[in-house]
Amino acid sequence: MKKSSPQSGVHPRQNKQESFEQPPMYVAVMTYVGYGLVTLFGYFRDFLRAVGLEKCHVAQEREEQKDFTPLYQDFENFYTRNLYMRVRDNWNRPICSLPGPVFDLMERVSDDYNWTFRFTGKSIPNVINMGSYNYLGFAENNADFLKSVADRLQRYGAAVCSTRQETGNLSLHEELEQLVAEFLGVESSMTFGMGFATNSMNIPALVGKGCLIISDELNHTSLILGARLSGATIRVFKHNNMCSLEKMLKEAVCSGQPRTRRPWRKILIMVEGIYSMEGSVVRLPEIIALKEKYKAYLYLDEAHSIGAVGPTGRGVTELFNVNPGDVDVMMGTFTKSFGAAGGYIAGKKELVDYLRSQSHSAVYASAMSPAITEQIIRAIKCITGKDGSTEGIRRIRQLAENTRYFRARLKEMGFIIYGGDESPVVPLLLYMPAKVVAFAREMLARKIGVVVVGFPATPITEARARFCVSAAHTRDMLNQVLHHLNEVGDNLCLKFSRRKHPSRPDPCEETNS
Amino acid sequence: MALGDCWKQLSWFYYQYLLVTALYMLEPWERTVFNSLLISVAGMAIYTGYVFMPQHIMAILHYFEVVQ
Repeated sequence: MKKSSPQSGVHPRQNKQESFEQPPMYVAVMTYVGYGLVTLFGYFRDFLRAVGLEKCHVAQEREEQKDFTPLYQDFENFYTRNLYMRVRDNWNRPICSLPGPVFDLMERVSDDYNWTFRFTGKSIPNVINMGSYNYLGFAENNADFLKSVADRLQRYGAAVCSTRQETGNLSLHEELEQLVAEFLGVESSMTFGMGFATNSMNIPALVGKGCLIISDELNHTSLILGARLSGATIRVFKHNNMCSLEKMLKEAVCSGQPRTRRPWRKILIMVEGIYSMEGSVVRLPEIIALKEKYKAYLYLDEAHSIGAVGPTGRGVTELFNVNPGDVDVMMGTFTKSFGAAGGYIAGKKELVDYLRSQSHSAVYASAMSPAITEQIIRAIKCITGKDGSTEGIRRIRQLAENTRYFRARLKEMGFIIYGGDESPVVPLLLYMPAKVVAFAREMLARKIGVVVVGFPATPITEARARFCVSAAHTRDMLNQVLHHLNEVGDNLCLKFSRRKHPSRPDPCEETNS
Repeated sequence: MALGDCWKQLSWFYYQYLLVTALYMLEPWERTVFNSLLISVAGMAIYTGYVFMPQHIMAILHYFEVVQ
């Protein structure tokens, strides 16, 4: 069940360093100036609210309770009150259609600077969707494709109403786990109803006190939460930096646990396949070499990379031509490329059997709904070609082509883009807080929906817009987006890149193999 | 026509100024407060320069013995 023809393009791909270009100095300075100014005005507004000159919209205690221990600390939510509230019309926008390549948004306006919203009743139709995790375009409502899902819904109902261990283990779940294990090339797998809970509830089952977790700087919250819940010691290495990881492994093996100097019971390296905020791809072969040398275990979270990278969509193990048996715990989610919800953990049979009885998620969480299970089954059958059509491989190729085209054109225009060339997650750096807001509003005015991310989720000077390329986007849609991006980039002065890029060769001449 | 272009260019510059200093995120009255503060401080600096620049230049030239 192994790889098809070995890629001759693997080694050049491995050697290409991912670029994280630094902006000119004035950008960093003005970003800090901007934040400083808004913070000063935040203090001023808080003062006005405290004195009573301005109506306070946030939660407050009753008059009789003002002498008690404070319930709502004034300073804690300073950032939310004074920065986020001013501009929060760019987030949590309600959608009223399928989140496919185009969608409809509800139009909402605010009369009091975003403290309250009201809907005008109209919707904004056909907004191009550059934010949904719809990498292979499975978020669709085509009746033919969804026929088996509708059948299952009719036969099994909407929910399972039980946990996997009680009466919630359907034959559908067994079929799905079998398919997932075959798809990934491992012995066995287990699926869970929620992707976040897959990480946070299963890591405590795998490691405990006396174990060491070495996790990447930019790991997702679910991994961090799971690591903290487990009670193991956590050490963090610099993002994708193999020297930092090796130093940490050496030090862990030589010195052992902090006070007793006993050897660690287990060392677990936690990395992700594609990091969702940076778009960078993990250096899998080097990590596997390190793990073999220092006898550690590897936990690979392929939430964004499964189905989205690799010649047949099998994730980073296929991208780097690595044996999936080398990765001890492979984890992933079905939310992104499969158009469903839930997660899986795959690996050796002993590992998965252990998790079936010891994981919190397996024992207490409700099992996956039958319709969603069938959606994942049909998505996997489509990707692997088991349903007899070439739709799956067409979508994977379309995604790879769209990704390459989009990234190349953006770099050529002069924007600063992070991440490796294969990753369909494209962060476009905006840096200054006001530009972030203006960008989101202008793009919506041009009927393109983007996701912008600011301070708590990214470092303070690196606010960005994150595009998720999808196989469902046609070349026309991408061209439209690029055209508008060009204009908005000029209007807002967003083209910070100082590197010269040659104009791209014809993408039809680039081949994948 | 030239006045219209000039106005458009100026308002584009004002927009860039709002974006770079993050005034774009503030309410209009806050922008007025900040702009008046900035203009008054800049005005005072220019006025002081205008009043005292001749004296300072004479003192420098006197120090370097260019003029007695």
